[in-house]
Amino acid sequence: MAQASAQTNAATVAITVDAKPTRRFQWYQVLIYVLVVFFTLTSIGPFVFSFFSSFKTLQHILDFPPSLLPNPWTLGNYQEILSGGVFSRWLLNSGIYAFGTALLNVMFSAMAGYALSRMHFPGRNIIFILTLSVMMIPLPITLIPKYLVMNDFHLVNTYFALLLPMMAQPFSVFLMVQFMKGLPKELEESARIDGASRWRTFYQIILPLVKPALIAVIILSFQGAWNDFLWPLLVTNSQNMYTLPVGLFQFKTDHYTEYNLLIAGSMFNAIPILVLFFIFQRYFMGSAVGSAVKG
Amino acid sequence: MASQPSTSSITSAQELAKTARRERRPDKGWRAGETLSAYLFLAPYLFVLVVFFLVVTIYGVGLSLFKVDIGFTTPEFVGLHYYQLLFQQLSDVTDSDFWISMINIIKYTFFDVIGVTFFALVLAVLLHNLAFLKGAFRTIFYLPAVTSSVAVSLIFIWLYAPQGGINYLLSVMHIPGPDWLNDPAWALTALIIMNIWATAATFMIYFLAALQDIPQELIEAAEVDGAGRIAAFMNITLPLLRPAIFLVVALATIGAFQMFDQAKFMTNGGPLRSTLTPLLEIYNKGFGDNQFGYAAAMSVILFVVIFLFTMVQRRLIDTES
Repeated sequence: MAQASAQTNAATVAITVDAKPTRRFQWYQVLIYVLVVFFTLTSIGPFVFSFFSSFKTLQHILDFPPSLLPNPWTLGNYQEILSGGVFSRWLLNSGIYAFGTALLNVMFSAMAGYALSRMHFPGRNIIFILTLSVMMIPLPITLIPKYLVMNDFHLVNTYFALLLPMMAQPFSVFLMVQFMKGLPKELEESARIDGASRWRTFYQIILPLVKPALIAVIILSFQGAWNDFLWPLLVTNSQNMYTLPVGLFQFKTDHYTEYNLLIAGSMFNAIPILVLFFIFQRYFMGSAVGSAVKG
Repeated sequence: MASQPSTSSITSAQELAKTARRERRPDKGWRAGETLSAYLFLAPYLFVLVVFFLVVTIYGVGLSLFKVDIGFTTPEFVGLHYYQLLFQQLSDVTDSDFWISMINIIKYTFFDVIGVTFFALVLAVLLHNLAFLKGAFRTIFYLPAVTSSVAVSLIFIWLYAPQGGINYLLSVMHIPGPDWLNDPAWALTALIIMNIWATAATFMIYFLAALQDIPQELIEAAEVDGAGRIAAFMNITLPLLRPAIFLVVALATIGAFQMFDQAKFMTNGGPLRSTLTPLLEIYNKGFGDNQFGYAAAMSVILFVVIFLFTMVQRRLIDTES
């Protein structure tokens, strides 16, 4: 036994020792870094270029050859965008849609996830299997009837139309179930012996233990709603109910060739998400992989 | 999908263990109380699940059998009329907006999926082989993936302008750039390039996770045996990435088939219907022409097409593994 492990140890040592002096692969590392720099430029280039260009005047926005830095600098694009007042209303609506979706969804999907992962009742398996299956229904088939349901209940052009379908998302529920399933059973048993109700057990014992999942769900659903274009396009039909993406579509139609304004407008949509991304990046990327499980 | 049977068997095993334990419990009323409180916990989610997923899916299929407009006439049963109409249009595809949009989306999906998978893999392999600053570059590469399709579309409307940034780069290489978004021959290509740029990083993450799961000893052993880096990659890494590649291809295909935002935002289906996508055509028929039944029939056909593509790919995955 000891001999065998000594042998494998020797083997690993041999490999590492053997690997060290292979300096002839250095060109390979150089090539990798050259490519990485190239893809860095293609990834952030458009953002950097358009960010600086949002301070250019209409006259210089299509300079050929283009310059990275504006000359002269101007805040005029931003002033013009915000002067109408309607743009800040779109920002507010987007904020309500995104924050509302994130908060409702994290609350309701945590509750559903708790019931599905830690309680025993008839119908549990059916609900869980339905959750898995509806994640595979592509959006187009539900789009028209979802709108007609909203129309039938006279909810079109209200915040309810935006928030109701988003307030408990199957994928978030699935994520919660996956997280909560792993917690030890004794948690509830000791809580019950101490006389805690189901609800207290849920929010005082279980929720603090699944904080990473809660943050992931908040961020995913905030991003989804903030970036959403199609659903708000369908259910909002007056300027003061538009979310930012729908408003930007209207804005684009009105200012088709005023690229300076279009780019400045896009910044309002892109920058909040980018800031959020820099703060919470591992949740963004972590949950993207988590979603692989649903496939 | 593959995880589904195993999950249910695990849960049913847990259930068995639980019921076995519960039989020792003298408290009879506990179960009803438990069921009630479970459904209270589930109530908001069940509302969404039933109304906005189940009812709406059945409603959508039923809707395609009716002539429905909002505010004019009462719905009228027309049976399979719209399906007949759509399939008759197959005889002259160039005359049918719907089938043109189908051809567009198949072209779009084909090139988009190849591009996305290729670049996602390249980015992941690059990151995986970085000795330092791995996290920083991963963040940078991921930036396009978090930005909304609307912001990206606005930026690219400007970059694709005849005098814009992309044509400037081409002119540096002495290539005359087209008027990307206004030329029927180039508009769809423009959207494909943009979408590959915007989504490759999303799928890069899947490949990174898969690369981390490959035991390093395998590759080291191959190198000890004298295999070059490229040979080791082609013969060991790539075959082991096969499941990840199929997953990415499947997810990217489903996503590409539902392309809407960019086509609506940048070109509105034009010029000359060259970027008309099925979802945009469904939107136009329903919300533009007030023909919701017709639009629902198109949705059902699109759903079936997506479903068939997914099934074919799933079959490929199954035979490989």
